[in-house]
Amino acid sequence: MFEARLVQSAILKKVLEAIKDLLTEATFDCSDSGIQLQAMDNAHVSLVSLNLRSDGFDKYRCDRNLSMGMNLGNMTKIMKCAGAEDTVTMKAQDNADVVAFMFESKNQEKVSDYEMKLMNLDQEHLGIPETDYSCIVKMPSQEFARICRDLSQFGESMAISCTKEGVKFSSAGDIGSANIKLAQTANVDAEEEAVVIEMQEPVSLTFACRYLNSFTKATPLSAQVQLSMSADVPLVVEYKIGELGHIRYYLAPKIEDEDN
Amino acid sequence: MGILGLSKLIADVAPSAVKEKDIKHYFGRKIAIDASMCLYQFLIAVRSEGAQLTSIDGETTSHLMGIFYRTLRFIEQGIKPVYVFDGKPPNLKGGELAKRAEKRDEAQKALEVAEAAGNTEDIQKFNRRLVKVTKQHAEDSKQLLKLMGVPYIDAPCEAEAQCTALVQSGKVFATATEDMDALTFGCNVLLRRMTFSEARKMPIQEIHYDKVLEGLELNKDEFIDLCIMLGCDYTDSIRGIGPKRAMELIKTHRSLEKILENLDTNKYPVPTDWNYKQARILFQEPEVMDPNNIELKWSDPDEEGLVNFLCGDKQFNEDRVRNGSKKLLKARGTSTQGRLDSFFKVLPSTTPVKRKADDKKTPAKKGKPAGRGKFRGKAK
Repeated sequence: MFEARLVQSAILKKVLEAIKDLLTEATFDCSDSGIQLQAMDNAHVSLVSLNLRSDGFDKYRCDRNLSMGMNLGNMTKIMKCAGAEDTVTMKAQDNADVVAFMFESKNQEKVSDYEMKLMNLDQEHLGIPETDYSCIVKMPSQEFARICRDLSQFGESMAISCTKEGVKFSSAGDIGSANIKLAQTANVDAEEEAVVIEMQEPVSLTFACRYLNSFTKATPLSAQVQLSMSADVPLVVEYKIGELGHIRYYLAPKIEDEDN
Repeated sequence: MGILGLSKLIADVAPSAVKEKDIKHYFGRKIAIDASMCLYQFLIAVRSEGAQLTSIDGETTSHLMGIFYRTLRFIEQGIKPVYVFDGKPPNLKGGELAKRAEKRDEAQKALEVAEAAGNTEDIQKFNRRLVKVTKQHAEDSKQLLKLMGVPYIDAPCEAEAQCTALVQSGKVFATATEDMDALTFGCNVLLRRMTFSEARKMPIQEIHYDKVLEGLELNKDEFIDLCIMLGCDYTDSIRGIGPKRAMELIKTHRSLEKILENLDTNKYPVPTDWNYKQARILFQEPEVMDPNNIELKWSDPDEEGLVNFLCGDKQFNEDRVRNGSKKLLKARGTSTQGRLDSFFKVLPSTTPVKRKADDKKTPAKKGKPAGRGKFRGKAK
């Protein structure tokens, strides 16, 4: 028996919005410790890693480990049926063919039940090694979303360069070029609005804007985003989901070809 | 050609070994292409009003057309192709080659009959059967590839075997061929329909060797023996033994020697002097160049060279050739998108958590009717 309840269905809606751009279907691995999801996009360029801790839910029970393959498009349809203030409960039997979503309005006047068929997905789990990143940038998530949107007008890829002074985003294309520099915030009053850089050594990497723009769909989940970079390894873009957990995106950099 | 009925057997018994993917998912991958196979395809398929394209002198140019545009498409998709040409055929293939020559003679005769009768449909059909890849075709293609800046390799013997060696050494990601032999040689990843025309809108089939073995529950040598029974190019097979029977036999006896000991030879006559052992050795230890000594280098295209070679006598359109050359150059200039799976390694899919879940699912599956689409309950 699996059951997980969230008083704010809005969080689950936002989580879904944050992944459905990259993934069409995914397996939710439920265990005693919480719900996890790890999946690559079709092209194997990016990876979504979602972790929702059991203690972050308002009620959580998972007797046996359970992997639920879901079509995210269908799940979105169901989540759209939930009111913003509704409480959501996900339920499944052990060995279930279906997962149930129950939405309850504030004072229990309206209770809606939805069932969705589960899928068997053969998916590959990737082992992500622990990495000490050369640069870790924390910045307001809305700022990051804005930068990605603006720069993607210029070219299909953008470079992120990080030095002690600050972090620079740049892009170039047929119409011209764009450069955005962010300096470290001097006095940190409100931590969420600050740009904070922890740097061991400078890094410059190039990434496809398309994927970064998909990542920024997670912006409503958190006011702050964290970018972790090291030379020649994938970028990590992390959004915290309150007390519940986090969503991390990994993106393979663009590489200059050694054969050329 | 290849192994008789192997693709169907895999689709039936080990469906999880075959994945269908779009060509755009192969960006950044190096892929070894069985050149003889794709030249043959082009000679058959690239035609205008049923006849091959030719130069002013009547020399065929269908294969050049095919190579030029198909390679261009790969490179535009960020794929790095390397073409592998057949060397001398192994001695054992003589029988198979003789058979093919015989069929060609028959087709020639049938063609004459059809021509006499004026049956256009038959003329086209038999014309296609007469197609043969000649040395000249291969030489033209190599010259074209050189001008395009695409590497090629002359295999000492069978191209599929050389492709397989390249894949196994990690020099390339996969072998692209329609021939299922590549799997018998032990090619980790086989791509089919890679060189098909875009217009046919067929997804690429990606076949994984390890999943095939897992699905068929055979080891490497047993798989080779199975392929020999199914029918390969190197030796005859036993009459009356089809895929199903062959599968049963190899599972019970686990080797051809044991099968022969236990087989009712009156019912299934074994070919006299059956040289399955030599065929097996050809699959186990094919004659290949050491992949470590092979350097694959992609370089800039030679636009003027291409124009000189393809336009003029060969009647290619100069604008289109120049355009193609520019596209090749542009594709080389852009940096390639890295792939996440080259940074993070795939974990074995049977983590304890998953295995438990799978074990539980299996009994539940059996009782349920098939045909519920992709959803749970469908026999995997």
